[in-house]
Amino acid sequence: MSMKQQIQPTAHTPILSKSLKGQMLKQKVVPYLFIAPHLLLFIIFFAIPAVVGIYISFTKWNLYTPPKWVGFKNYYEILFNHDSTYYMQLRNGLGNTLRFVLMSVPFCIIVPLFMAIALNTKTLGNKVFQSLFYLPNLLSISTVVLTWVFMFHRRLGPINNVLKIDINWFGTQPFTWTAIIIITVWWCIGGNLVIYLAALAGIRQDLYESASIDGANAVNKFFSITLPGLKHPLAYTLVLTTIAQFNIYGQPLMFSKGGPKATTHVMMMYIRELAFGSGQSIAGLASAMSVMLGLCILSVSTFQFILMRNND
Amino acid sequence: MKKRLTRTLAAVCAGTLLLSAVGCGSKATNTGTDTPKPAETKTETKKEEPATPAAAQKDIEFWTVFTGPDGVNMTKMVDEYNKTNPKIKVTHRPIDGGDMYQKIPTVVQSGKQVPDLAVVHAERLALFAESDMLMPMNDYFAANGKISADNYVKSAWDMGEVGGKHYSVPLDVHSFVTYYNKDLLDKYGPTVLDDGVITFEEIQQVGDAAKKDEIKSMGITWMRVKFLAWYSQLGGELSTDGENPDFNNDKAAKVLDTVKALHDNGYTNIDGEDPVQMFRSGKLVFCPEGIWMKNSLEEIPNLNFGMAHSISFDPAKQVNWTSSHQMVMFKNKEMTDERAAGIMDFLAWVGENSVEWARAGQVPASLKILQNDEFKGMKQAFLLDNQDSLKIFDYKYFGFAAEALDKIVWEVPFGRMETKEGLDQAQKEVRDRIANQ
Repeated sequence: MSMKQQIQPTAHTPILSKSLKGQMLKQKVVPYLFIAPHLLLFIIFFAIPAVVGIYISFTKWNLYTPPKWVGFKNYYEILFNHDSTYYMQLRNGLGNTLRFVLMSVPFCIIVPLFMAIALNTKTLGNKVFQSLFYLPNLLSISTVVLTWVFMFHRRLGPINNVLKIDINWFGTQPFTWTAIIIITVWWCIGGNLVIYLAALAGIRQDLYESASIDGANAVNKFFSITLPGLKHPLAYTLVLTTIAQFNIYGQPLMFSKGGPKATTHVMMMYIRELAFGSGQSIAGLASAMSVMLGLCILSVSTFQFILMRNND
Repeated sequence: MKKRLTRTLAAVCAGTLLLSAVGCGSKATNTGTDTPKPAETKTETKKEEPATPAAAQKDIEFWTVFTGPDGVNMTKMVDEYNKTNPKIKVTHRPIDGGDMYQKIPTVVQSGKQVPDLAVVHAERLALFAESDMLMPMNDYFAANGKISADNYVKSAWDMGEVGGKHYSVPLDVHSFVTYYNKDLLDKYGPTVLDDGVITFEEIQQVGDAAKKDEIKSMGITWMRVKFLAWYSQLGGELSTDGENPDFNNDKAAKVLDTVKALHDNGYTNIDGEDPVQMFRSGKLVFCPEGIWMKNSLEEIPNLNFGMAHSISFDPAKQVNWTSSHQMVMFKNKEMTDERAAGIMDFLAWVGENSVEWARAGQVPASLKILQNDEFKGMKQAFLLDNQDSLKIFDYKYFGFAAEALDKIVWEVPFGRMETKEGLDQAQKEVRDRIANQ
């Protein structure tokens, strides 16, 4: 007791300053605590692999023995060595990937958009259709492609049989790309559809009502009210869909195996084959290729972001 | 705030980079000094052994790539072995091949949870051995006394021999053969199999006879292995010096041109048609496929089929593309002589009791199976009559060659690519991969 009484008065001032310090510390630390769970996942699953990947792209590495630093050799090989198979593979792979992005992204935006607008009319059973349209999104890519392989089967497939045509969807262009785009759009309708539906619900109904009074028709209403109202979700889905489609892999791998004549052989297929193929792994070159793909995605999405910001 | 965050992030990234570099470095020193170590660890654990009774030994971890129906047969075999009350029991773990091959380098380097015994494909063996990831088995064989070369199919056993040491015991040989529809063959070419061989001329004769009924003669199936078998029939080698690829030649061109001609003249399935489906529904006379297809074909009612050697250019020379599942021991610091002896007991037992594996449709590599009457009655048994025909492709860079060939061997027969263009591309790709590995 006596000890406490002795200590209390002397300890009074430091305690105050301590609590002040604590408060300041709290202000500094607490925000980090809030973002910590995501930051941790981000670091473990994104930052570390990305940094290590960039490091590996400057090395020669077979996964078994330690990587050897080779400087820019891998980049020279894929970017400037015209005689190299990898120079060809990078061009073909990136070209095909870009081609696919350009062809698929517009459909991945427009098709779900129109479906959302149709569903938004709240006709009978719209919820049933909403779930039906969302369903493919839940399936894995292998399930999706296997299903469509049956659909496009040359002899037994319903598509050739119903349309009474004899098309080899797996080995003739432009049918192979057409099929891959159809598969992709069908698979990814759901994600964007839900976003558009939510945004559509947020557009005020009185705008439409007053437009009707002013004599606007459906097309006018769509371009003057619906589209501006969906500006932000459209921009958001555009960026995300573009990034997602750059990573195309499963569809051409399973559907056309990269054929015919490597016209659907996309970047990720070359990368995987180099790093985890059936021979010795050439992880350095594979990493250099993925860095190039990463740079492409980065520049396209930066460009899109700038475009969006300017629009604001 | 933002700045601070970026600074923290940058610091973390830099830290991890350093850490990973250090990690790799320490691994390097580990593997560098590892080689003399196993003996030390062995003696150390040996000293402790009296303290741990044999019954308390952990089961032998047996990883295999059998995730399909054959995994059931393997589990049955392991169960049967465990019923014999061995000193150490075995636990069978089927893992998807791709997953296992990605996992192996990590577990072997870390030394944790290394499987005691694993099944790998024969083509991977040389690479694993050269990367210093496998344990030589010679001493263990000598201690066991029951496992020796004479008991196994020669080509399969020889795959385990790398640099004078033996690294594996073959479980089976699996070949790409020719399935034929007996009913259709009786109708369109009853004399074809009189000499036991199907030649390319006979494919055309049967095709001509069957044309009016819209039945095709030969299926264009897994072209890589067909190409390899036919190329080898003509005397071709993937590499003449064992290092550089050397398959861009007239023999390879002849193989591709032959298949293309068969396709162009209407003897085969057309592009986009599924030859196996056609065979199942009785629209195809000859279907080259792997012996692993047999069990699923047997399930089809009214399909009366047989199995024969690969289609041949030359009736006197048979080559069947063959691979083999091989049982290996990955480097493992915790391996003791006693455990290894337990593994050898299991391997010897498998060699003597592999009829269950034959039931999965496979051809066991152990020649003891030739004394088994049940096996003799199986359709795939004919393969062991001519063991010299079982060709395993053991080119050091087989993986590279396989992937390069896959890109062209489908394209040429269907006319999407010129023969020369294809072979040029494939050979160049293998060269470039070797140069960059």
